[in-house]
Amino acid sequence: MSSNSPAAIAQSTTTTIQETRFSDTAVIFPDVMTESKPATEAGQSEAAERALDYLRELTPELRGAVILDGEGGALAATGAAERWAEAGAALFGAADDAGGRPADHVHVATGDGEVFAVRDGDLALVAVTERFVLASLTVFDMRAVLRDLRAEIIS
Amino acid sequence: MIKPRRFILDRLSGYADEAGAFLRRRRLARRPFARINYEDGSSVALEETEQGRALFLAAARLIDIAR
Repeated sequence: MSSNSPAAIAQSTTTTIQETRFSDTAVIFPDVMTESKPATEAGQSEAAERALDYLRELTPELRGAVILDGEGGALAATGAAERWAEAGAALFGAADDAGGRPADHVHVATGDGEVFAVRDGDLALVAVTERFVLASLTVFDMRAVLRDLRAEIIS
Repeated sequence: MIKPRRFILDRLSGYADEAGAFLRRRRLARRPFARINYEDGSSVALEETEQGRALFLAAARLIDIAR
């Protein structure tokens, strides 16, 4: 057998090279690789603001809403964030006390308007609407908005 | 042929019945209520009970803030 035989040429695995390239790309383009991760508080708030805007588009009867984080603080609100956060946390507290266990979603209707509150993991969304909205549709929209926001924040 | 006065009476009582039914439905629909739903699919209704009082107060506060 001659020294020009193909068996004599050293080979390296392609897989290793590709893995190296991938990690290099992450180093070279850190902004691109972490584009969809709003890790900072400001990023989370911006994502929450966008979620509220989207909810407003979905629900024309919406008067106001707040998105609460795991500690009961307001990530975004349509008005005074602190007042919204306090009132929203009080609603969940009252619902949990009344039922004796954590509520998943709450619907309260009065002569002046309707209140909906939905939990999704650490996040919660509380909304006030006009009277006689379609409750199931409103809760569905709120849940969808909250789920998308959660995915955006966590991913 | 139906007599004119009979026709008018029928019409008027018909309208009165409709209006009464509308008001009954509206009164029923405007009654405050609260429903709490849980993760397992169960739910509990609290219609102006003592337990629901705090919930109604919290909801009223939120409605005030949204104004």
